[in-house]
Amino acid sequence: MALTSQRVDVPVIVDESKCLEKCVACIEVCPLDVLVKNPETGKAYMKYDECWFCLPCEQECPTGAITVQIPFLLR
Amino acid sequence: MHNTDMDPEVAQWVEMLRSPQLDDRLVAVKTLQHLGDEDAIEPLIGVLYNEENPTVQEIAVTTLWEFANPVAIPPLIECLSSPHANVRDEALSALKELVSTNDLMKLLDVLQVGNTYAQLNVLVLLRKIHDAQALPFVLPFFESENPTLREAAVITLRYLNQVVRCEPALALAQDANASVRRATALTLGHLSDAEVVPLLCELLTSDADWQVRRNAAQSLDLLANPAAIAALIAAMGDPEWQVRKFTARALQKTADERALPVLIKALADEYSDVRRDAATALGKLAQAEALPALQQTLNDPDMDVRIFSQRAIDAIQKSLPETSNV
Amino acid sequence: MNIQYLKTDFLVVGGGTAGTMAAIKAKQASPESDVLILEKANIRRSGAIAMGMDGVNTAVIPGNSTPEQYVREITIANDGIVNQKAVYETGRLGFSVIQELESWGVKFQKDHEGNYDLKQVHRVGKYVLPMPEGKDLKKILARQVKRHKVNVTNRVMATRVMVQNGRVTGAVGLDVRSGDFVVIQAKAVVLCTGACGRLGLPASGYLYGTYENPTNAGDGYAMAYHAGAELTNIECFQINPLIKDYNGPACAYVASPFGAYTANAEGHRFINCDYWSGQMMLEVYKELNSGKGPVHLKMYHLDDDTINEIETILWDNERPSRGRFHEGRGENYRTHGVEMNISEIGLCSGHSASGVWVNERAETTVPGLYAAGDMASVPHNYMIGAFVYGRIAGENAMDYLRDLEHVEPDADFLAAEQARIYAPMEQPEGVPHTQIEYKLRRLVNDYLQPPKSPNKMDIGLQKFVAYEETLNLMGARDPHELMRCMEVHFIRDCAEMAARASLYRKETRWGLYHYRLDYPEKNNEEWFCHVNLKKDGAGHMELFKRPVEPYIVDVDLIEEVYDVAVR
Repeated sequence: MALTSQRVDVPVIVDESKCLEKCVACIEVCPLDVLVKNPETGKAYMKYDECWFCLPCEQECPTGAITVQIPFLLR
Repeated sequence: MHNTDMDPEVAQWVEMLRSPQLDDRLVAVKTLQHLGDEDAIEPLIGVLYNEENPTVQEIAVTTLWEFANPVAIPPLIECLSSPHANVRDEALSALKELVSTNDLMKLLDVLQVGNTYAQLNVLVLLRKIHDAQALPFVLPFFESENPTLREAAVITLRYLNQVVRCEPALALAQDANASVRRATALTLGHLSDAEVVPLLCELLTSDADWQVRRNAAQSLDLLANPAAIAALIAAMGDPEWQVRKFTARALQKTADERALPVLIKALADEYSDVRRDAATALGKLAQAEALPALQQTLNDPDMDVRIFSQRAIDAIQKSLPETSNV
Repeated sequence: MNIQYLKTDFLVVGGGTAGTMAAIKAKQASPESDVLILEKANIRRSGAIAMGMDGVNTAVIPGNSTPEQYVREITIANDGIVNQKAVYETGRLGFSVIQELESWGVKFQKDHEGNYDLKQVHRVGKYVLPMPEGKDLKKILARQVKRHKVNVTNRVMATRVMVQNGRVTGAVGLDVRSGDFVVIQAKAVVLCTGACGRLGLPASGYLYGTYENPTNAGDGYAMAYHAGAELTNIECFQINPLIKDYNGPACAYVASPFGAYTANAEGHRFINCDYWSGQMMLEVYKELNSGKGPVHLKMYHLDDDTINEIETILWDNERPSRGRFHEGRGENYRTHGVEMNISEIGLCSGHSASGVWVNERAETTVPGLYAAGDMASVPHNYMIGAFVYGRIAGENAMDYLRDLEHVEPDADFLAAEQARIYAPMEQPEGVPHTQIEYKLRRLVNDYLQPPKSPNKMDIGLQKFVAYEETLNLMGARDPHELMRCMEVHFIRDCAEMAARASLYRKETRWGLYHYRLDYPEKNNEEWFCHVNLKKDGAGHMELFKRPVEPYIVDVDLIEEVYDVAVR
């Protein structure tokens, strides 16, 4: 089966300039496990568009690097 | 420095708390929070004293809060006077959960010597302890220059158990600051000094701030004193609907037929809460005169008004002698 | 692929409200026993109360109400179809749970004298206890789990319960990060996996924009079914009045003590009881579909200070992103009503009544298998009921397993389950789980959303049965996607149960929850009973009536009809 890659507006935005490479706070608390580290940069990003906009990632981030938006379809 | 049995994983992050790099300290304190290992308590208390970055401090406060170990209470009380709002606020939240009667003396000390932030926060914490021993330490704040402290003190008064009379609080009913008067109006509902009811009546009918008037109505509802009836009748004509609503509620407890005309008029009030609460008050009065007006509100567009009017009608009919039952 | 073998005395599947309590109580009952919580997220922030809770709905506090009054209220609210003994336990033990939570640092609202500040939201009694500072509930529970030396395995999702010789012997699952196959031997298992919150598709079309935490995909309903346990009242759906599109609660009961209320488009009240029930939902449904819809939570008549206070509570707790949702639309409580809508369907005994059948000892019909929380059948149980039943399960399980030994897992069973789980990884180019799930849940909306039409439900049922084959098309590229694929299996099982149970009960009951167009009346003669279902010996779904247990508290159901629209 052919798969396309579709662009999606994701709810969790990570400010890479603030994200700390050694830190995994957001990844550990996400109930849906949608955040991962980019192995090349060591920065967190939202890999899966499965967000409950519940905010622990944003609240646990020690540098304020994360902003959670309401998913576009609900906004 | 720290105990030698410490889990090496924990020890590594504890070590990093002393890194010159802020980023490292942030990661370290965050990781210790997530690991939740109680061996980290002592080093985290160290952070409260030695760390200069307010974010690291705040996370350390949160972490100590999560451990809920009483050894952290005195250092957290010191954080109440921190120059950083985030640290103070987090420490206050933590202490709201952690303080008990055992900490009363420590808190009262801070009330006497702390800065304004600390005093304000301690006044809030005393509401969790409810201990009347705090009263003599709270009273001086009624005369504070700072209206926020006066307001906090008069709110705290309400939470001190067994305090039923407090003459020094009465003067705050005439305070220049509206927030202080609002808080005072609510606190007076819990006091039984002889001057309380006349004071509340005056606030209800004459205060320039409508929230003061509303709060006075709420307190009069609580006190249910028949001496307030004239003021309550007058307040049914208040321009603010919330004042009329809470006055109608007070009239449910202080049933007096002199209120009949204003309550009937209130059945046509613009606000449904007023109509509903007036209907209930009429039910308590048990006067057949109110029946025609209540019959009309059975068609009210608001469900609650219809329900409570019907209940009032039922109550009135039940109280009338059999013969006059239409 | 790697296989992990674990062994524990008592396995708790799901570390939310009920699960953390079950584990703690098991350790208190038997400190030397090994207790393991298996959690597919991280117990610090997982389950229905991941972000805290702003109030307790079922607090039976001495001096305010009694367990008997509570049983009466719930019996009426659930149209008589209750096992009163089970409901009674929530009333009887709720207060001690509240006291214990308090000793752990959970804060409930108190008045100036330090008494619990209860609010009346139910029709009669006062059972609602606000928790304006309830945002850290889960962290407090996680701390107690640690203090009680419960073992926790995060990021492993259970997929099946193991049953051998008529009793539970453990569970198997999937490590959602490493992809390991995890086999856990246990002498007793409690399922605490929450609601089936991903059954219907939200009107927004966003798969995870659900009312329930979307991790709760009906895992426990499906696992209990495949273990041979009975389920009950599945046709009594969960449907909630929610903030339109956001799909979170507007929390009328939080805002109503401040003077807010649910109103129609003209700004008038049309219900007089904000307690969520099927009867209330039917009134909301009627109003929405009358000329007076849509409906909204009305606060714009209140003053700024009051609204500030409401906002502080609502935006700090349970669903804290509510504030930014309104802000993003340029809407403000001061000037706008909060538009409300009816949610998609779900299964959740916490709010309605559908769940795995349990008695007052939290036992399912399979020896050694317990259930608690939103997935166990005690109706309207909410958070306090989840704690109570977690506790009951934990204590009873430790008693049950005392003299039992572990049993070696059945190799054939493991091989079959392994093959089932990992099939999507064999075809990474297969249809993405998102599309498979979207279509399945869209079919649920099309055919099961009340009012229920028998012909539509028949079509739906055929489609859900056929979907078994469709699931074989799914492909997964990593363990995370594999987790989602397995969840779609759970959802399909729940959809089939929902269709069959709804077709079976040929009457209308519970207001909108089971409103049948072809049988619009309640029929106590034939249907004053539970509808239960289970997997029969041949692997088919079997439905049957289960009589309502004799009442222990007298309720005159003819006299005391639950009505939220008239006096």
